[in-house]
Amino acid sequence: MSDPVLVIGAGVAGLTAATQLADSGIRTVLVDRLPIVGGNAMDLYKAFPTDDCFYCFEGSRSRPGIRKCFYRSAILDQPNIELKVNAEVTEISGSPGKFQAKLSVGSQYIDSKKCIMCGLCIERSNAFSLPSPQCQPQAVIYDPELSDEGAKKAEEECPTKAINLGAQSSEETVQVSDIVIATGYHEMKPVSIDEYGYGKIPNVVTQLELAQILDPNGKSGGALVRPSDDGQVKRVMMVQCVGSRDENYYPFCSKICCVYALKHANIIVLERDGTQVTVVYMDIRTYDRHERYYRVARDAGVRFVRGRVSRLEACEDGTLDIIAYDSLLDKYLKFNVDLFVLSSALEPPKGSAELIKSLGLHSASGFVGPADSTSENEVVAGDHVYVCGAATGPAEIPESVTQARAVVSMILQSRK
Amino acid sequence: MTETEEKADPPAVMIEPIDISKLDPDFREGIRSMPNGEELSACFACSTCTAACPIANTWKYKPHQLIRMILLGMREEVLSSEEIWLCLTCFECQERCPQNVRVTDIFFDCKNLAAEESMIPDSIVGLAKELLDKGQLYVVTADWEREDMDLEPEVPGLSTEEFKAILKGTRTGRIVGGDE
Repeated sequence: MSDPVLVIGAGVAGLTAATQLADSGIRTVLVDRLPIVGGNAMDLYKAFPTDDCFYCFEGSRSRPGIRKCFYRSAILDQPNIELKVNAEVTEISGSPGKFQAKLSVGSQYIDSKKCIMCGLCIERSNAFSLPSPQCQPQAVIYDPELSDEGAKKAEEECPTKAINLGAQSSEETVQVSDIVIATGYHEMKPVSIDEYGYGKIPNVVTQLELAQILDPNGKSGGALVRPSDDGQVKRVMMVQCVGSRDENYYPFCSKICCVYALKHANIIVLERDGTQVTVVYMDIRTYDRHERYYRVARDAGVRFVRGRVSRLEACEDGTLDIIAYDSLLDKYLKFNVDLFVLSSALEPPKGSAELIKSLGLHSASGFVGPADSTSENEVVAGDHVYVCGAATGPAEIPESVTQARAVVSMILQSRK
Repeated sequence: MTETEEKADPPAVMIEPIDISKLDPDFREGIRSMPNGEELSACFACSTCTAACPIANTWKYKPHQLIRMILLGMREEVLSSEEIWLCLTCFECQERCPQNVRVTDIFFDCKNLAAEESMIPDSIVGLAKELLDKGQLYVVTADWEREDMDLEPEVPGLSTEEFKAILKGTRTGRIVGGDE
């Protein structure tokens, strides 16, 4: 029996690659750092270009595991997939075709095969929580830092004995034939860009943070509220290219932030009554057919200001006074807003540099570049090493799915 | 090197930014609801209209800026601007607009709104007065041109009295009468 394939990252690309490999009869070890799969897409609320919630996303429709109506997940039950959440790849050695990957697997406090999500433990202690009703694995998660007496009680009372507070982390080494890097992206926290006050001034958030506020599964039930006091938001300002196209941070265009910023602007204007949105931009890059988001936004009355924010001042009532320069009018405009949203650069996730170095791969602005930049095989990162999704650089969901399928096809061909 | 204690002087005149909350959001909707305004909001400020305009290089507010100002709700500035009256109405901007914004027609709407509020430049009022007084803008004089062409000095059958009477009852009459 041949060695399994290691898929690093269980986001859109990693899930697609793992499930399709498994369906083709290839054993797969799927590793993710977080306790649930889905990656960034879990926090997107509606994902472009279909505006579906990710849980029911088109690319996953044939995968019952990701559909909310199924109690058990194919990701868990497909015998060819070995899912390891709370786990990280710490070291890769060996040679192409026969890699040894050392995994550090975090404590498995909850047995997801036993958990029936009855909610009893959540009632007993704050240490337990349910990240989302549709999360995979379908199980609560436990935060040992919030441990208390109630947690111990929950462990005793759990009707299926799914909780083991004494669980220990473990290390293991797996031998794999191929490695699929699907580590995705990270949204930069723009703390060092002083002029926007992120992390210092209340009610300054990033686009992904806004998506979580808008998510009906979120704390406010989807109501657009200010983080500082849960007050209703009436006026929003968004700023594009925060850290992107900036030689001091990331010189590249993050590609998808114009589209999702406008997706959010449209949700706010069309579905959250009476809220005004202003977008301050340098260029609107709603490439390809995504131009429709821009058109809908203009029709819906989203205000566009080409220029930059010159000054931002927090007021006592929690609002922000903002002066922006409109380069089309050559005028300065003064706004008062409740929420200031930064379309922050999409950067390589933590550990990318080490992974690229240890496997001898090419770096493309910190993301994983193709082994041969002149070939059309952009998913081939090295000998028996493949890359797909936003690990190659900012990518939209359909693109990630397509690349993952390309990886699967290449692995299948190599094993013929 | 000596350390200087000097502080930079504040700029001679600090121009206040335009306060968005003081603008008129109904202006945008008002223009948009007019027959020519349907595609107003489609404008993405590419400035094709300004590139197309044969005379805008002398204007303070270029055509794309006027559309921006309408979208922002800068009612006063747009309706009191002389540019909407300087427009030659050659329709070049409207012809080229990639988003089908009826730029020239929207400027006509603006002129009509301005007229409703008696915000008309004196030169235009002068023309209206001329029209009302004489029943025509360009009075044909019995000069040598007609003579050279063997034409009689007066234009035969030209009667301006009816025009004058009609115009008196229209907005042109009201504008000149100044009773608005």
